[in-house]
Amino acid sequence: MNAILRNALIATGIIANLAIVAPVSATTLDDLEKKLTQQEEEMKTLRTELAQLKAAMGQQSEQIQQQKVALDSTVNAVQESKETEPTTTLSSYGEIGYSRPLNNTKDTQVDVARAVIAISHRFDAQTKMVSEFEWEHAVTSATDSGESEVEQLYIEHELENGLRVRGGLFLMPVGLLNTSHEPTSYYGVQRNFVETAIIPTTWREVGFGLSGTTANSLTWDAGLTTGFDVSKWDPTAQEGRDSPLRSVHQEGQLARASNLSMFGALNWQDVPGLLLGASVFTGKAGQNTPDSLLNDSTVTMFDLYGRYQTGKWDATALFAKGTISHTADYNATIAGQPTPMPSSFAGAYAQLAYRLWKTPQYALTSFARIERFNTAKTYSSAALDSYLRPDVQVATVGLNLRVGEGVVLKADYQNFKHDSAQDRLNLGLGYSF
Amino acid sequence: MTNRLSCLMALSTLAVSSQAFAVQYMTAEEAQHSMFAEATVFRDVSPHLNGDQMNEVQKLAGLPARSVSWRVMAAYKGEQLLGYMVQDDVIGKYELISYAVGLNPDASVRQVEILNYRESHGAEIKNAAWRKQFVNKTAQSGLRPGEDIATISGATLSCTHVTDGVRRIAAIVAVVFRKGT
Repeated sequence: MNAILRNALIATGIIANLAIVAPVSATTLDDLEKKLTQQEEEMKTLRTELAQLKAAMGQQSEQIQQQKVALDSTVNAVQESKETEPTTTLSSYGEIGYSRPLNNTKDTQVDVARAVIAISHRFDAQTKMVSEFEWEHAVTSATDSGESEVEQLYIEHELENGLRVRGGLFLMPVGLLNTSHEPTSYYGVQRNFVETAIIPTTWREVGFGLSGTTANSLTWDAGLTTGFDVSKWDPTAQEGRDSPLRSVHQEGQLARASNLSMFGALNWQDVPGLLLGASVFTGKAGQNTPDSLLNDSTVTMFDLYGRYQTGKWDATALFAKGTISHTADYNATIAGQPTPMPSSFAGAYAQLAYRLWKTPQYALTSFARIERFNTAKTYSSAALDSYLRPDVQVATVGLNLRVGEGVVLKADYQNFKHDSAQDRLNLGLGYSF
Repeated sequence: MTNRLSCLMALSTLAVSSQAFAVQYMTAEEAQHSMFAEATVFRDVSPHLNGDQMNEVQKLAGLPARSVSWRVMAAYKGEQLLGYMVQDDVIGKYELISYAVGLNPDASVRQVEILNYRESHGAEIKNAAWRKQFVNKTAQSGLRPGEDIATISGATLSCTHVTDGVRRIAAIVAVVFRKGT
């Protein structure tokens, strides 16, 4: 009974409690529903705002993109303008040398050998003008030894297919020194003898040239230019003995052009550090001079060369030979004169250089060169055999100290095998920029 | 004279038939696709170097960073980074040389392309044989002109300046983009 009563009391209590709680729960559900409705509204508003924000951001992004494109095109335009706008460049090189014949010191000499000012102007991406103006031996006047000359003056135009056309007064693509003759480009205070006495560096002619480079790094040059004037040969002077072609070159100075010459050159550089090259220049050189016996003469020069630069080593070799045809009749008329015209002249050298020391600012390189040449290797007639001389052999050892990129200090000693009176010590200072 | 003209005509024929290059050898876009043929997307990641980064570049390359802004594109295949291409210009001897350097994600050189070369000498610089010397080299090793990278006879300054430029670019990518540096 007690148990029944207790259960009944418990059940009554639970019911009473439910009766109290029930009205409270009803109120909360209404509130929640209202709140949910309110939140849904807010969500809708937020969604709308978010969509608007996204749209705005999209517009901003597009604007940024447009600005970026505009900026890129400006950068490209600036970049392009750098390459296509006219530009003028001033450059220069020069060299001063001291030479002391060790067995003949009274002939010690200092010379401002060359001072060169070069101006080039690029008209557009494809067309440029190149010029070089040179003073040799410091002072030029009627009573001085110096020379003032236009060394280069040409227009170069690059065609759409990459070929380069050149017109004007330009350097012949011959040997290693002729087109790269700045003092910072070669070893020794003075240019080597072979590329001075046999190849008349700096050798230039007036005319047209064409050049290109293949995918196999074969660069070719060809052209039609003025040539030599052998009617200028002076059999009484030493100049023809020192350098046959230098004595009959024209250099664009009222150059006689009745006869023209042609040249061709090939340079192969498909192995990094290695250069193999050859060139030929040939043309009649009598220039149709009245009453001359040299009108059938042809001057021909050819050379072969190689250079290999690897690490600290730099090895070079070159052979050059020149010929002048139809000289016999002329030489017969000048019998007894000191300088008959040779039918051939030739020379070769080998050079090895090794870099001893290098910092970002300095580089010290030692070199040794042996060269052998003869400015009158043969004459066309046996009657002139008494004029033949042995080959000149010169050994040169020295140092080049490069300072920065454009300055070089040089020192060398030269030994002449058959003429010790010419043995000498040379010191030099050069620059190029 | 007739023989001479014949020879010149023969040379002209050789000129026309020999493989030649256009005035602009390659555009930047062509260079990108040549360097990263498998790339599906290129993203402009051109950085602006801060002072610390410029100092780091100088330390790594051994020459000044030269500029704060650099033109860099990152190449991706999907989400996989293939590498970077940096475009730059240097002065050769007298003229501007435009070139692009492709680099792997580890900042080693993948490929070098010459976009424009206008000097009268040294056109061989744009040929594959010379450019191959740069492959897999890094700013720390293998990019010293005349020592690691052989120069072209008659174009020493052009080769030196491009080699220095590639070393600088390799250092920039190492400092700015390479993971863990």
